[in-house]
Amino acid sequence: MWAVLKKEFKTYFLSPIGYVFIGLFLAMFSLLFYILTIYSGAVTYQAVFYNAVIYALIFIIPLLTMRMFAEERKSGTEQLLMTSPRSIVGITLGKFLAATLVIVITEILTLIYLGILCYFKVPDMATVGVTMLGFLLLSMAYISLGMFISSLTENQIVAAIVTIAIFVVTWLLPNLSTSFLQFSLFEKFYPYVTGVFPITETINFVSLTIMFIILTIIVLKRRKLVK
Amino acid sequence: MIEVKNVTKRYGKFTAVDNISFDVKDGEIVGFLGPNGAGKSTTMNMITGFIEPNEGNIMINGYDIAKKPKKAKKQIGYMPENIPLYQELTVKEFVNYMAELKLVGRKNRKEEIEKILEKTGLTEVQKKLIKNLSRGYKQRVSMAGALVGNPDVLILDEPTVGLDPKQITEIRKLIKELGKEHTIILSTHILSEVSQICERVVIINHGKIIAIDTPENLEQKTQEKNSILLTVEDKKENMKHLKEEIPEIQSLKFIKDNEDGTKQYMVESEAKIDLRKKLFEVLPKQDITIFELKKAENTLEDAFISLIDETKTQEAQEVKKEDTKNEEKNSKKQKQHKEKEDSKNAKKEFNKQKEQKTKGGKK
Repeated sequence: MWAVLKKEFKTYFLSPIGYVFIGLFLAMFSLLFYILTIYSGAVTYQAVFYNAVIYALIFIIPLLTMRMFAEERKSGTEQLLMTSPRSIVGITLGKFLAATLVIVITEILTLIYLGILCYFKVPDMATVGVTMLGFLLLSMAYISLGMFISSLTENQIVAAIVTIAIFVVTWLLPNLSTSFLQFSLFEKFYPYVTGVFPITETINFVSLTIMFIILTIIVLKRRKLVK
Repeated sequence: MIEVKNVTKRYGKFTAVDNISFDVKDGEIVGFLGPNGAGKSTTMNMITGFIEPNEGNIMINGYDIAKKPKKAKKQIGYMPENIPLYQELTVKEFVNYMAELKLVGRKNRKEEIEKILEKTGLTEVQKKLIKNLSRGYKQRVSMAGALVGNPDVLILDEPTVGLDPKQITEIRKLIKELGKEHTIILSTHILSEVSQICERVVIINHGKIIAIDTPENLEQKTQEKNSILLTVEDKKENMKHLKEEIPEIQSLKFIKDNEDGTKQYMVESEAKIDLRKKLFEVLPKQDITIFELKKAENTLEDAFISLIDETKTQEAQEVKKEDTKNEEKNSKKQKQHKEKEDSKNAKKEFNKQKEQKTKGGKK
């Protein structure tokens, strides 16, 4: 697992993808910071930014996940990976954690804005902490879904578009009928912003993540028979 | 030691590999031959555990690849077809990653990587990105990836495709050297390569093994005739009567007129009979001057082609036989009679070939 994690993480930053992801994320974060804090003059806290930036996540998470398995399959390097003594579980977790690590680094970078806010007024740190944790859990659920889609195809573009489509559908469905609220991950993120750690939502995110990781492993194992 | 037992792989209705079995002993270099789409790569992919067979099992040094994948895979170094590599890594990074994947201990890793880079002649380019390397170097990187971790068994899928002649001889030399310590299966469709490197050959076609033997035996076995290439000066046109002088000659074919007035012939006799001595004795008496006399060697190419053709005609005849059977039922008596004879002939021929094949197998 560690070997795959190390290599995958390194690859994010050997190609432009890691920088593009972090760059785009911070650009949007900065814009929100400017509009909400400096332009409108309201002193607000980290949680609000996160609440707004999760919509952007829909479009940039696929940057991290689209190539995970699709590229390996297309270039044939999956042959190297799958014929090594490493287990499929280890390989999948390695890739998943590498993407998660990129999110963690991005979150750490957003602490700059928290620092600036603290200069004016120190916000409620518990709220900030819970929000950031919630954001990480949400991202992990997204990554696992994106990874699963990537394991189904050998075309990165297809993987990215299908992933975005699924995110957008789960985002917009509640507009049709409130019964779809169950499927919206954003709805599940809101409780974190209040600063109270929501157990139900956390279990929801974690189980979703585990489910898609397991599905990915099943797909990879089945490919041995079908391919 | 690799043991492949009754392995079958199907894709839907298509059977890519059909119930094949063979062994590769320790320290042996075995060549895997076959036309495109014969099932070579599929078989290799199954041996390495990349895909699972529908039936049968594969043992690597006593470990079943399906039941103990970790231990079995540790014994294998695989160089896949089309040399897949992580283009964005440098040579050293790639080999290092492969070493990590193959559970090479941290202590020996650095030392081993250096040793392998040197063995494959990559030391100079170790800091270059793989995507910037030429095909020949990429091939070597792929080879280095297979060698890392010092596996007992090496599976090389077309290791010399796309290389220039100098690189080919280098890689062959390397493979031969590796053969001293490793068990190697190598697939190729360059036949001279097989006769140079391999101790044994497995020929596969339409997913079935049609021959397993040493290259020399295969060459001999498929040799039905002894052919001699003869260049002579024959002013009195006595060559026509040569057949009368030497009754062992089965056929005498004129090939071409050379510019210097000599003529080239192909003299064929039964496989057991060597006519060279007799030709040297008889021809001068007939006022024929020998310029060149050469035994036309039956190459592995000929063996390969005749074996592949054999299976083809057999299959065609099987189909024909079935067709004729069906037609027989429907056609009138007269037609039936004729058809019967046809199928009889086909049967005869089929049996004859079958006999030949079983003979070959027994040898």
